[in-house]
Amino acid sequence: MRDNLNTTRRTIIKFGVLLVAVVAFYFLVSTLCTSLYTMMVVDIALIYSLIAYSVSVLLGMGGELSFAGVSFMGGGAFLLANLTTGRLGPTLSPVVSFLLIIPVFIVIAFIIGLILLRLKGTFFTFATIGLVQMTFAIYNNYKPLFGGADGIAGIPTTEIFGTKLMNYNDWFPVLLILAVVVGLIVERIRTTPMGRSLAACRDNETAARVLGVNVYMTKVLAFTIAGVLSAMAGGLYAMLTKFVSADMFTYASSTKYIIMAMLGGVQSTVGAFLGAFIVQVLPQILSAFEGFLQLFWGIAIVLLMVFMPEGLAGIVKSLGRKFRAKNKKKVAAAAAAATEEGVK
Amino acid sequence: MSPSLFLSLLVNGVAMGMVYALLGMGLILLVRAVGILNFAQGDLMMFGAYICACLLLDFELPLYLLIPIAFIWFALLGVIFMFTIYWPLRKATYSQATIIATMGASIILQEVAKIIWGSQPRSMPHLVLNSEGDPAVLQIGSASLQWQYLIIIAVGALIIFLITQLFEKLYVGKMMQAACQDSYAANLLGVPSILTICATYIIVAIVCGICGYLVAPVFMVRSTLGTLQLRAFAGVVIGGFGSIKGAVIGCLLVGIVESFSTMAFSGYKDVTVFLLLIIFLVFRPTGLFKGKIGDKA
Amino acid sequence: MAENRTPILRLDKICKSFGGVVTAKDVTFCVYPGEIKGLIGPNGAGKTTMMNMISGIYTADSGDVYFNEKKITDKPDYARARMGIGRTFQTPRFLQRSSVRDNLMIGADLGNKIGYLSGFFGRKSTNFYQELKEMMDILHFSFNWDDDINSLPFGQRKLLEIVRSLLSHPKVILVDEPAAGLNNKEIEYLMDILRMAAKKMNIGVLVIEHSMDMIMDLCETIAVLNFGELIADGTPAEISNNTAVIEAYLGREDDD
Repeated sequence: MRDNLNTTRRTIIKFGVLLVAVVAFYFLVSTLCTSLYTMMVVDIALIYSLIAYSVSVLLGMGGELSFAGVSFMGGGAFLLANLTTGRLGPTLSPVVSFLLIIPVFIVIAFIIGLILLRLKGTFFTFATIGLVQMTFAIYNNYKPLFGGADGIAGIPTTEIFGTKLMNYNDWFPVLLILAVVVGLIVERIRTTPMGRSLAACRDNETAARVLGVNVYMTKVLAFTIAGVLSAMAGGLYAMLTKFVSADMFTYASSTKYIIMAMLGGVQSTVGAFLGAFIVQVLPQILSAFEGFLQLFWGIAIVLLMVFMPEGLAGIVKSLGRKFRAKNKKKVAAAAAAATEEGVK
Repeated sequence: MSPSLFLSLLVNGVAMGMVYALLGMGLILLVRAVGILNFAQGDLMMFGAYICACLLLDFELPLYLLIPIAFIWFALLGVIFMFTIYWPLRKATYSQATIIATMGASIILQEVAKIIWGSQPRSMPHLVLNSEGDPAVLQIGSASLQWQYLIIIAVGALIIFLITQLFEKLYVGKMMQAACQDSYAANLLGVPSILTICATYIIVAIVCGICGYLVAPVFMVRSTLGTLQLRAFAGVVIGGFGSIKGAVIGCLLVGIVESFSTMAFSGYKDVTVFLLLIIFLVFRPTGLFKGKIGDKA
Repeated sequence: MAENRTPILRLDKICKSFGGVVTAKDVTFCVYPGEIKGLIGPNGAGKTTMMNMISGIYTADSGDVYFNEKKITDKPDYARARMGIGRTFQTPRFLQRSSVRDNLMIGADLGNKIGYLSGFFGRKSTNFYQELKEMMDILHFSFNWDDDINSLPFGQRKLLEIVRSLLSHPKVILVDEPAAGLNNKEIEYLMDILRMAAKKMNIGVLVIEHSMDMIMDLCETIAVLNFGELIADGTPAEISNNTAVIEAYLGREDDD
């Protein structure tokens, strides 16, 4: 058993590693991605990482599979598009609209969570599919708010602290910082009472109950967090591409986000981030095989679920465990040898 | 609304409801048997439709040959599906893993279909044609009903009847379900659970395949045919999991609501269907008929 | 001796049946703070069901449960846990995919009554490690924080479940067959920690156990259930001479 001090030291080390990794990542991308197109791919991957986090919160921590991410993503994107283009009356700046998304979707996601989480497990999953189908039909048909099949174009250029984010290069550092900060928040949730309560709901509901966890409300909270993260991702997407249309928010695209989180490792925040990158960037690298790419994803998912349901992060974890076990054995063997010598 | 319009909408709705019911019944059989929600159900149907289209259009087989050969392919599909998507995952510690694997299977089926048969939709002739080769219609008063829909209803009802007889009346079916639900006890009693589970998968795949054959003339054979399963999901939840009867009624309801709402507000028919679903979920979370078996997934 | 104090837990005419099977019939007994009470009976006597009704996993058909003389019959299970009713299970129920640390922390979370939000901003329990160390000294084993909970042997997991519950500072702890699957040494430590809980932390302990030696040694009072009915309630000496109890365990003398 180790004590408090040790954990503080480890936290500091972790932060150091993270900082180095983020800086290295920044320079790596800046040097590798020379064209605006590749930069766009990276930017979108960073936005998707928010949705992958949301899957990680709800599925990884809480054990509930939800497809509703795209509904909220669409909601966030259309809210921002409406506010910034003045379709609702006043015209707000993109940053203000983005900040408005957060409280609005805390309320919306909370209410929807209250309704849908009356159901358990598979039923809940079904209900979220229903939600996605409904929101898609509404986004796709109701012209006054969602532009119908044409979508909404003409979202103005975003300005932060007086700097205009003109192109995908300008956006990259902003999105990177955002993705890291949100990732840290999610990671923090994992290690606080909320994260542990969610883990208890996921692994053993009865145990959770006798440990004083209000399973229903805890899950509703997790659903709310996931909803807000998705809505934020939607808003960012609208700001980045300056165009929103309903066909981004289909059931099919919601499976993509779940795959991202599963690929990286649904139990791990870093895994979710990496998963978003792999799913978004790999197709660009393998564009020669475009016809087979979807098939490749399908097979990858099945193999992943069979051999490593905890994704890439799961592999790293089990390797680490093996390594530690080996070390332990070595130490034990050495100790045994030492005592033997002592006896002699 | 004129009576003839009402009648044709009703027949349309019931026919589509029958299709959803067939898919939904398969879903329930699988949930009962292995506790898994199959997100590739619609894609099994899609694949079945392609198999039939291939046999009918490319090999030009007559119906009496088409049916047995198609059945063999469906069964094979079911077996392959079980041994790749279910069997390796049956002891997965992560309960969502199996469900997500079926999502992967859904993608695989779609892509394989595209690679084998191309991405162009194929049209299939209706089962009953008039002398000019157009879809035959049945005239009742001023209402003209397509025979294809009537056949869907008849065949659907027959299959549902047979399956419920098998699983709820006959000893073999009951034993199969018991074996699937408690493989340990079943193995002790000498019923190999692998066989019963395999049989369930074969039955489900065949039902899906027939379904595909029936809807192919209506929707054309294309790789996105699988999205019909979403309505089957809705119907199953409305009916309440665990009971075939509930699922069938729920699916029929979905089909009818969908058909009539097409009339009223075409773009929003999905909204009405899924709003119905969510209303049911909120006010009657157990569905129309309370399921006998709890949620295992 | 304890009768003039207020009981921490009181059952009043609890009835419960599943279908036609009666698992509790007018059961009435009390648990006092600092007292270790045994709940015994032949298999199927309704002991675990009784615990489930106390912790709120099942609701009683009729009758009431009082906690510190406050009626809690209608409170949900998590609220009862927050009031201070701790619980362990026959097979330990842990967070399967979490580390030992998280599994124990969740017990401490309950005791600290930290909300999710204040927990997020870093309010922590102050003496979690100190308390844990004291308990582990009694239990005579140690573990690596970051190990998977499943890497621990069964016996240690059972003991840790009690530790987890004690970390939440309950007023009453319900312990369901703690000794099953433990070796003799571990049973000794188990009795030590239950005594510590009762005497030092003034917790009322309700134990279900099949091992008569242990029950007689450990408990101050014992309640005996048979087919859902309370057939005796008294000190170990009274119980071991009670004819109804002997009949329930050994069968009627004129049976053969």
